[in-house]
Amino acid sequence: MKTSGKRSGTGAKKAVKSGKVIAFRRTCEAKGTGLSHYILMKPKSK
Amino acid sequence: MRSEPSWETFAIGHERYDCIVDPDTAFWALEPRETMHDELRSVRMERAYRRKADEFAKEMDSLRFTRRPSAVYFNPTERCNLNCTYCYIPEAMRRDGSHMSEQRLLDALSRLKRYFSRTLPRGERGQIIFHGAEPLLNRDAVSTGISAFRNDFHFGIQTNATLLDDRTVEFLVTHGVSIGLSLDSASESIGSRTRRTWSGRPVHEQVVSAMDKLRGYAHWSVIATMARGNMKRLIDLVEFFHAKEVPTCMLNVVRCTLDRSRRVKPSDATASRHYLAALDRTFELYRETGRKLPVANFANILLAIIAPSARRLMCDISPCGGGRCFFALAPDGDLFPCSEFIGLDEFRGGNLFEDEMKDVLVSPAFRRVTERRIENFEPCRSCAIRHFCGAPCPAEVRSDGAALNGRGAFCEFYKEQARYAFRAIADNRHEAYLWEDWAEGTRITFALLIRTRTRLDSGLIFSPGRVPRPRRPSIHSRSRHSS
Repeated sequence: MKTSGKRSGTGAKKAVKSGKVIAFRRTCEAKGTGLSHYILMKPKSK
Repeated sequence: MRSEPSWETFAIGHERYDCIVDPDTAFWALEPRETMHDELRSVRMERAYRRKADEFAKEMDSLRFTRRPSAVYFNPTERCNLNCTYCYIPEAMRRDGSHMSEQRLLDALSRLKRYFSRTLPRGERGQIIFHGAEPLLNRDAVSTGISAFRNDFHFGIQTNATLLDDRTVEFLVTHGVSIGLSLDSASESIGSRTRRTWSGRPVHEQVVSAMDKLRGYAHWSVIATMARGNMKRLIDLVEFFHAKEVPTCMLNVVRCTLDRSRRVKPSDATASRHYLAALDRTFELYRETGRKLPVANFANILLAIIAPSARRLMCDISPCGGGRCFFALAPDGDLFPCSEFIGLDEFRGGNLFEDEMKDVLVSPAFRRVTERRIENFEPCRSCAIRHFCGAPCPAEVRSDGAALNGRGAFCEFYKEQARYAFRAIADNRHEAYLWEDWAEGTRITFALLIRTRTRLDSGLIFSPGRVPRPRRPSIHSRSRHSS
């Protein structure tokens, strides 16, 4: 997160932090897949 | 329609971010700590989420309750030429057990082909993983089966690698068989504490020799089992795997299904410390070389968070994949929800040569596993990360003397993995831990990024929102948090 100075009406410098809320999600439409072993983890769409 | 979102706060140990989760839908958001209680931000985020909440709830229901088996753990023999400390297969079976005959193996594959042709989407092939014990002790039958059904299944084999001579490697590679090896340490002296022959002889050199033979092949990987004896050297191990150009590895904490494996169980704190340090090292190796070493079990937890229905492993979800996404076939044709249950009569659901698969899948033995739902027991039912963990594994929980409906043997270890995953997302370095093609076949269903600016003395002053596509992560945005 960045912190910057910002002038207020009185001329004093105020510390400001900028940040962001992050939320995202993907979905996979493929059905009939899913296993407990990684050696066959080919892309689900194939 | 779902009821109101039920937000849980999940502390992730990040210097700037906290995490909130709606556990039922596995929806999450990372929020700068100083704006966590900002109403304006909360309203915007909730509004965006509510529009998708029902869709996410359906997605989780589909993932958890509507899948059909697509993979079989096929044990072509009960025998093994090694006597590893933590093996979950009873010793008498591994020492004196029997092979499945070639004719019987071909019959089994034929029956499974028929079953999958009725249940899988058109054009999709079932997956057969020859597993053990040591499947290559029955090499001729296995090879005949792969040759005969090469166009009907995706084949894989999990082997201790001691029998992977040049001829066998060539056969497997030529037939596109995915190959999994097992190695617990970069050093023979440490690795042989857990993996050795019946006479105590180490097998390290044979495994390393097999790894060299497979270099350059796309479909091979290595499992390391983390136990007390090798935990402290996991960084050496991932460096070794990376140097050997292992495409994917797994760092599995020891499965404590038998007394002998419980004796080498590390504490959650010890396992977490060394495991997360090894993950850090894989990230550094990627930065240094541009080549990833995905740790598949961790990558799967990351996927559970950012793309729940794209997860590829089904142990850390509830119900687990045992008996519903895959099942295990013993050499005598007996069927179990998972290899972990082989040898336990109470979990025998039927026999491939005598029963219909559709009946086996709803047998009382299978239903004990497939109906184990995390909502039905404490403390998991109220855990924020219950759908990123799943309280694995039922076989382990049962053997620990607890009822099947109990929390997993490594509860805190799973929480630490989830925290690490969220920190990686907060620092935009999560793609470094995933396979190159992880997003193939997926689409974005939610993307929210609300920029906030906070005057330190008086709270929020500016909060413009937008809904962009997630920017492409840069591996240079490295975390200052390692564990």
